[in-house]
Amino acid sequence: MNWGGEMHSLYADYSKKGQVKIQQMAFVLVAIMIFFGLVSLFYFSIRIANLEQSAVSLKEEDAKELVRKLSSSPEFIFSANDCSNCIDLDKVLILGERRAYENFWKLDYLEIEKVVSKTDKQCNRGNYPDCKFIKVVNETNDYGSVVSAFVSLCYWESNKGGYVKCELGRIHVSGEGIK
Amino acid sequence: MINKKGFEFSFAWLFAIIVGAAIIFFAIYATTNLISTERRVGDSESAKQIGILLSPIETSLEDVKTAEITFPTETRLLNDCYEKGNFGRQNIQVSSKLGVGKEFDFPGEPSTFYNKYIFSEEIVQAKRMKVFARPFSFPFKVADLTFIFNADRTICFINPPGEIEEEMTDLNLENIKIVDSLDECDEGRKICFDLVNRNCDAEVSTLSNSVKIDNKIMYYGDDFDNALLYGTIFSTPEIYECQLKRLMKRTSELSLLYLEKTEYLTAKGCSSNLESGLRTLADGSAAINSSFGIRNLETTADELGRRNAQLICRLF
Repeated sequence: MNWGGEMHSLYADYSKKGQVKIQQMAFVLVAIMIFFGLVSLFYFSIRIANLEQSAVSLKEEDAKELVRKLSSSPEFIFSANDCSNCIDLDKVLILGERRAYENFWKLDYLEIEKVVSKTDKQCNRGNYPDCKFIKVVNETNDYGSVVSAFVSLCYWESNKGGYVKCELGRIHVSGEGIK
Repeated sequence: MINKKGFEFSFAWLFAIIVGAAIIFFAIYATTNLISTERRVGDSESAKQIGILLSPIETSLEDVKTAEITFPTETRLLNDCYEKGNFGRQNIQVSSKLGVGKEFDFPGEPSTFYNKYIFSEEIVQAKRMKVFARPFSFPFKVADLTFIFNADRTICFINPPGEIEEEMTDLNLENIKIVDSLDECDEGRKICFDLVNRNCDAEVSTLSNSVKIDNKIMYYGDDFDNALLYGTIFSTPEIYECQLKRLMKRTSELSLLYLEKTEYLTAKGCSSNLESGLRTLADGSAAINSSFGIRNLETTADELGRRNAQLICRLF
């Protein structure tokens, strides 16, 4: 018995039909992957757009609710008299200078404005109360839509022996944006 | 012998099985992940919406406000309190019940608030939740305290003082039962007033202004229109102590705000002479490290409130 020997050539007989089938399968596989890729891309683009929209509407809703209740907040309320919608302007002037309240209400913009004023100037200790507005929060220049509400602005007027003066004002609020 | 009817396992079959299995596996995996993500998105939105819903419940001139929150399915509300920072912070998370798999999965993203104070158990699990809010003044208004509890779980107030009984009756909270003795309360949480019994879940001592829960004692002070008393009843000792420290931090900041206001108005002819009292309150409330310390500050706060009420040009 002779176990030895020499292999002169290795030859596999692949049929042409088989090769075409493999190519077909490969194409199907690639097509399936592309299809699933496109479907997921389409789904996620719609979902992300919806999520952004939902986040923006929640932000606006939050700002609307906040603007209604902000005048009752301890930092704003004029508590010397029982007045539910009165803002203590003296307190707000000081509040605007305090760093501790940064991000406390999670707002991008918060402004208290006098409706009737002879000037357009921002309030500071030098020109107060003869000024137009106090910016309490101004986090960014791109703060989106602003929600407003009318309030009474009360402060101590030192003329004529001193008395509490209340004027019509507006409060402007914009919720914190998506970061 | 060769079986000529044998099944030929061709490449096409092999390909279809392997690729088919991979696609099915991928589809199941993606769907499971998608459901989990969508649920987390929904829970995160719910947490934000709860925060928005709590704003109108806050009081202005009212003594108390109530509301009810109803969820589509049974839901867990997770209440987390952190005392670090200028004002500490309040986190709420929501986890809704699933129809399949684990009943409650990971909660959604937390909604953070610096100006809210929620007194509840760490996890409130219910489909209907009762909410009520009360202002907390020390001596000026500091914040609104929000109390949240399961609307379907009975809470028995055993032998409460007249004012608590009257207030609970006025609020018309159907799951809160006012009874005279422990025997009249068969189920639910038992809040005993001036009664020591091992069947009580909370023991309120109106003499020492304290509440004992799980062998931990919380102090609620005397002059807060029962706001802090409700805080001890509806929350756990850990949540209560944390929220109280947050409230004291805000008291401190408000005291400094009023201090600056009075210094500014003194120059304009509206003097209050409350500066030293406000400074003491600001320092004392910032340094408080447990509810026991609130008793030492009550005298200062009372004195400030009394002196302010007598002023022509009132500070608060």
